[in-house]
Amino acid sequence: MESRVLKPVLAVYVGLFLLFLYGPFIVLGILSFQQGPEGGPQFPITQWSIFWYRDIFGLTPPSRVAPLPIGVSLFRSLVLACMTMITSTVLGVMAAQAFRKNFPGKTVSFYLIVLGMIVPGILVGLGSGLVATTTGIERHWWSTAFATHVVYTLPFAFLVMLAIFNRFDASVEEAAWSLGVSPITTFRKVTFPLIFPGVLSAMLFAFTLSYDEFSRTLLSSGREQTLPLAIYSTFSVEIHPNVFAFGVLTTLFSFSLLAVYAILMTLSVRRAKRVAIQEAIG
Amino acid sequence: MSSIEAVVSKTDQQPDRGRSAALRSYLLIAPSVIWMALFLILPLAMIVYVSFWTQSTFKIEPKLTLDSWQTFFGSDTYLNSLWTTIRIWLIVLISTFVLGYPTALFVGLFVRNKTLQTALLVLCVIPFWTSFLIRVIAWRPMLGKEGAINILLMKFGFIHQPIEALLFTELSVVIGMTQIYVVFMVGPIAFMLGRIDPNIIEAARDLGAGFWRILRKIIFPLSLPGVVVGAMFVSVMVLGEFATSAALSGRKVNLLGNIVVTQVGSLKWALASVVGVILTVIMGFVIAGLLRIVDLKKEL
Amino acid sequence: MDAVRTKKGMSILSEEPILRLEGLTKRFGSHVALGDVTFAVERGEYVALLGPSGSGKTTLLRSIAGFEIPDAGKIFLSGQEITRANIYERGIGFVFQNFALFPHLSVKDNVAFGLRNGAKRLPNDEVLSRVLQTIAMVGLTGLEERGAAQISGGQKQRVALARTLVMQPKLVLLDEPLGALDANLRLRMRAELRQIREQLGIPFLHVTGSETEALAMGDRVIVLDQGRIGQFGKPDEVYNRPATPNVARFLNRYNVFDGALDGEVFASAYGRFAFGVRMASARSAYAVRYDRLVAKQAGTVSRAPAIRVNYVASEYLGAAIMHFFETNDGKVVEVEHHLSNGPPSAFSEGEAYDLTWTAEDGIVFG
Repeated sequence: MESRVLKPVLAVYVGLFLLFLYGPFIVLGILSFQQGPEGGPQFPITQWSIFWYRDIFGLTPPSRVAPLPIGVSLFRSLVLACMTMITSTVLGVMAAQAFRKNFPGKTVSFYLIVLGMIVPGILVGLGSGLVATTTGIERHWWSTAFATHVVYTLPFAFLVMLAIFNRFDASVEEAAWSLGVSPITTFRKVTFPLIFPGVLSAMLFAFTLSYDEFSRTLLSSGREQTLPLAIYSTFSVEIHPNVFAFGVLTTLFSFSLLAVYAILMTLSVRRAKRVAIQEAIG
Repeated sequence: MSSIEAVVSKTDQQPDRGRSAALRSYLLIAPSVIWMALFLILPLAMIVYVSFWTQSTFKIEPKLTLDSWQTFFGSDTYLNSLWTTIRIWLIVLISTFVLGYPTALFVGLFVRNKTLQTALLVLCVIPFWTSFLIRVIAWRPMLGKEGAINILLMKFGFIHQPIEALLFTELSVVIGMTQIYVVFMVGPIAFMLGRIDPNIIEAARDLGAGFWRILRKIIFPLSLPGVVVGAMFVSVMVLGEFATSAALSGRKVNLLGNIVVTQVGSLKWALASVVGVILTVIMGFVIAGLLRIVDLKKEL
Repeated sequence: MDAVRTKKGMSILSEEPILRLEGLTKRFGSHVALGDVTFAVERGEYVALLGPSGSGKTTLLRSIAGFEIPDAGKIFLSGQEITRANIYERGIGFVFQNFALFPHLSVKDNVAFGLRNGAKRLPNDEVLSRVLQTIAMVGLTGLEERGAAQISGGQKQRVALARTLVMQPKLVLLDEPLGALDANLRLRMRAELRQIREQLGIPFLHVTGSETEALAMGDRVIVLDQGRIGQFGKPDEVYNRPATPNVARFLNRYNVFDGALDGEVFASAYGRFAFGVRMASARSAYAVRYDRLVAKQAGTVSRAPAIRVNYVASEYLGAAIMHFFETNDGKVVEVEHHLSNGPPSAFSEGEAYDLTWTAEDGIVFG
């Protein structure tokens, strides 16, 4: 009886909840169309325009509003994300492959790797900055920040690959070995194609985490900033609707990444379809 | 065997082939282990070590001293930020729980269609896929004097003067953090609720129990592991926070995280390390305490 | 089995068995999967390995292939020890129960995989001709370009076979290769498997849980009992003269009674039985084949051996009928009546009957 009353009540609540989750975005999205350059980052919308979008791309005449320092920092973020993605995926696949057998120190290694996702950003960043300063190593986005990025993303890649290998039917590998094919060639020609969807997921995870990474980077990066750092530096000053336009664009970028991932997944899954998990009996 | 060991041993797929096989395993795992040891363990150890170093205005020396510790505990400002951090952590923890549980209840228990369940969860997670900083800054136009909330409330006649306390206060930080982290509560709780056998609830109802009774005695206890996991996620993230407080409180709210950032900015490494150690200790206690509530190894 | 050595030290293998196991032992924790297994497979033989689940037959096969490393004992292939050799260097083919085809490759690429990726790289056209030849041999011509996941179970089975045979292995191990196929297909594949093998002359070691399959396919049959060899011999030997009570049980053709030898008869809970054959065995038991029993009205039998039972039910098997009887303490006794021996008798449920047989048909173990 109660559930008949409760369910619609909860449904309404969830609706409000989602509004709470998405509210700021909606407002941000609306305000991104604020008139520029005089329009401020609040209501009312004096005039609808796409001025701020054009400002992001540097297509507007100079005004008293400083353009967002996107350019180079975007490039750095992308490169860093790619570096992190490749490194943590390679390390994660190797580690997951090692975990298919038993070896002394397996549990310790597990805790050690997973620790990387549990420890909060500022602590790792602080520690890296400390190590760099006391040993005289210079902090750069491509060295010290890169190292901490991998520390953060490796556990995710590792766990994804562990899950993939868990469902992997090893009898195809045994079949390849029995045909006289060495383990390395077997991995290249049999195992890897079959785990590829998982590898793709791990790569996407690592890329997105690194691209948006902020707290670790703040303390372990050098003077050259990545994109999140550049954006953050504008917060303390007055904010303008160009930040909102940027927010909308970056959200669209994330969605397009997801879309690309979904397409790649469907393609590779269709090819290696009845696959990654060998069907029991045909 | 603990559940971690159980998980770890379930990954064994290949037979033992003696020493050359063990060597191969070590070669595969070595890069990851070395990376984590060098870039995670070493930095963390450094934090503890450096917190005892002597800090002069421009230099820092390995001479061991308790100076920085005394500075921290002797200063009202710093102690204040300690309490503020703990206070905000508790408030956000409670608010994410209070706000998130009903949603998890709906998605995990009341929505029986699996696709709809997944769709709703995806809907909750999508905001997570966008930039963290954007999510933080998105609250400014909502909460300001001329922000969306005030405008809507005034339009509908609920208030006549804009509420000033919405932005640049502790409240704004709490609101921002709650919205950003609540999804970490919803996920695990919905997961645990989804695993409850509906027959149990049927049976209880047949025995005459009213809904609130069922909720208290059956649903909530069964969802507790999810609550604990969610609490751990939220706690770790909130305790390590500084961006939200910086962006939404106008420097009024100083969390331990903020202190770390500002001290590093002025190269006061020793003090920053002290705060880092304190943060780690707090987190250690919180996680240990949460793990005591529920024996996660059994439940998961 | 003498090896004659030439001046260069090479042995001319005269009668060297293709496969020889000595004392093979394998433990999993405290469970002994294989205990001191010793036997040899001759060249060109088809050996069936029979045993119930848990008998260790799959472990044995996997140890020979190299997927498992034994704890003790030795394995010799053509006289060379391969106990700890790498899987990919043994030259032993393996056909999996679930086929283990490479799902992302076509039928042709599956069959060509070993030739293309092994240690020896053959020229492309030779690979292709061998592959197409083998595909034709297993009867799959026309399916070369199909994806491995898009063919039927029986076709997958042939691809698995072709993939192995194209490598010209010294020995092929088959792990319940027909187990995943439906009964009809299984019977047809049995004949085909034998035919293909005889064409190539490669020795097969074929694991199965089905005693009819083992008896039908093997030149010789190994019966594995809890990790040890129960019996190893020709099918008719095994069928007519099971070496141990367990072997008799696995054959699904014998009624086995517990008891002990007492002088010239076997004393069991159901009576004293005279016997015709005595098999030396650690355990005491008495076995008589299903089709050697005759059922008569209770009380009409004067000669021994005989046993008093109640009728339960019958099962029609086509060319024979299986009658099920039960002793007073619940032991089931089966009687098989071949319809070529005459029309079946009618029994009443719950009624008492005497089952009798000639003493010569009784096998005593002990």
